[in-house]
Amino acid sequence: MKGRKWIYILIALMAGFLLPFYVGPYPLGIMTNVFTYMALGLSWDMMLRAGQLSFGTSGFFGLGGYTALLTTLYLGLDPLLSIFVGGIFSALVAFVLGYIILRLRGIYFAITTLALAGVFTVIARNLHDFTGGPEGKILPTTIFDGNPTYIYWLTFSIALGTILVSELFQRTKIRFAITAMRNDEITAQSSGIDIFKYLLFVFVITSAIQGIVGGAYAQQYGFVSPESTFSSNFLLLPIAMCLTGGIYSTLGPIIGSIILGILSEYLKLRFPYGHLLIYGIIIVVIVLLMPRGILGFLKSFRYRFSKGGETG
Amino acid sequence: MKDDPRKKITLMVTLIILIILFVLKPYAIIYGVQRGSLYALVAIPLALTLGIVGILNLAHGDFLTLGAYLSYWFFTSLGLDPTVSIVLIVPLMFAIGAGLYKLTISRVLKAPLLNQLLLTFGLAMIIEESINLIFTSRPRNIFVNYASSSVRIGKLQFGVYEFTYTLAAVGVLLFLLYFLKKTKLGKAAFAVGQNPRGARIIGINVEMIYLLIFSMSVGMVGIASALILPRMSIFPLVGAPFTLKSFCLAAMAGLGNLKGILWSGLILGIGEAVIQSIEGYSGWADIVFFGVLIVVIITRSYRGSYS
Repeated sequence: MKGRKWIYILIALMAGFLLPFYVGPYPLGIMTNVFTYMALGLSWDMMLRAGQLSFGTSGFFGLGGYTALLTTLYLGLDPLLSIFVGGIFSALVAFVLGYIILRLRGIYFAITTLALAGVFTVIARNLHDFTGGPEGKILPTTIFDGNPTYIYWLTFSIALGTILVSELFQRTKIRFAITAMRNDEITAQSSGIDIFKYLLFVFVITSAIQGIVGGAYAQQYGFVSPESTFSSNFLLLPIAMCLTGGIYSTLGPIIGSIILGILSEYLKLRFPYGHLLIYGIIIVVIVLLMPRGILGFLKSFRYRFSKGGETG
Repeated sequence: MKDDPRKKITLMVTLIILIILFVLKPYAIIYGVQRGSLYALVAIPLALTLGIVGILNLAHGDFLTLGAYLSYWFFTSLGLDPTVSIVLIVPLMFAIGAGLYKLTISRVLKAPLLNQLLLTFGLAMIIEESINLIFTSRPRNIFVNYASSSVRIGKLQFGVYEFTYTLAAVGVLLFLLYFLKKTKLGKAAFAVGQNPRGARIIGINVEMIYLLIFSMSVGMVGIASALILPRMSIFPLVGAPFTLKSFCLAAMAGLGNLKGILWSGLILGIGEAVIQSIEGYSGWADIVFFGVLIVVIITRSYRGSYS
């Protein structure tokens, strides 16, 4: 059973890696988007596993995007390197902010992070000379000169790295601390878990991932502007994807982002103006009817099925 | 509490700052009071739901948008004056709130916090995007001549229409205080807010109170919706920032302190107006609330009110 699982993973990896050789640039672009949202969704879910709902995804995504683009523009930094600088800057900001706002829990933390993207937008819009104000900034060239295969591999490896971090969180000692915190903070605290330290750690790591994804996205298009870079798409879509797939796992967001990512392309073609509405409806319906997502649904189905098999 | 010397000092300092500001930037104070009253008017219903139903409604600001578009629709299709249409908007919004409560909110009351937040977040997106689909993102505004009436005192000339926000905020506040302290239903609601289980034991229909309070707060947002229409362009995202600002005010005042929201609103409004009046920095006014929120968090966490 265990050996078979590794074979599946290997097949998926090979398929992901070799995809550019078999499909054209348009499906490749779709998959690039899927991996972008997959990494965002996973990072959002990682924070959720620690019991804190963060709406800061689009904020740190945009921050990484701006940092990557501006360092390339002003300092002539290599685009690939600048992506990581974007991640580091997001992590730094998350550290300073987290030091303050992680004293809050639940709704207080959630709504403060909801404000972040808006705050960053205002800052980006008002630092005219540095960020280009409302018009944003454009790079003369995009990363890898716009080669879709290389861009695909870049986002694929970022998503892969995120999956790895997510699995590390699930398999190492951290997981016990995180799960304990989510289930009952006071018990966790009395078992000697330094909650604040762990939450800050998770917040910084996930923000770094969001920054890196944002950096890659900005370099991919060679363009940042306050409204598009901090767009609530980068918050709404990952959340909808994680919920669809199933939260509190690595596999859930992966499944969700692949399903919704491909579906959204279709929706965009069918309903060019209304596709965001559908994400809102997906979120509401899943929260109400299927709070553990497709994965949770399948699990409970299998559980019921196997139980029925035993008795019958 | 009344003899608390720290409170007296704070009050004195605030008054002195206000007087200095009034001499330096009289317009900032006037506009700040107008704007701040609007914030308070929108924030009071949010705090009511938060305090009694225990739900943070992330779609709160979008209800403001919804009401404003309803009022706009009444104006353009029936020729109804926005201030008159309040009598229609409030019951309509009340009904919408009741429907949404029955369909969605009531199902997540016992669910984890996460589900409640995600649900209202999803609702917010649905409202924003539906309005975007129906009315497009083009800003709409209407003209009624009384909205631009102004008054001159000495050298100062300013619009008076916005003071209806102040009147409405004070009116809503007084109504709620009366409702919660004096009427039987209000007292029951107050009890539910303090201890839902205890309230259920003594025979209060908790579900009914939740439904009433949630619908009432959506209805009250309708007042603000109709009032802003004559003076503001409306677009699908016009109300969204109000959610965050309302929450900021609720956090400033502290849970259950409705009166405090009015004062917090005025402070935030004046703060924003002062920043806006400084040349070259007007764009920064939108993040005043975030700075205030962070300061509130830090001071509260040092005093240990939150943990």
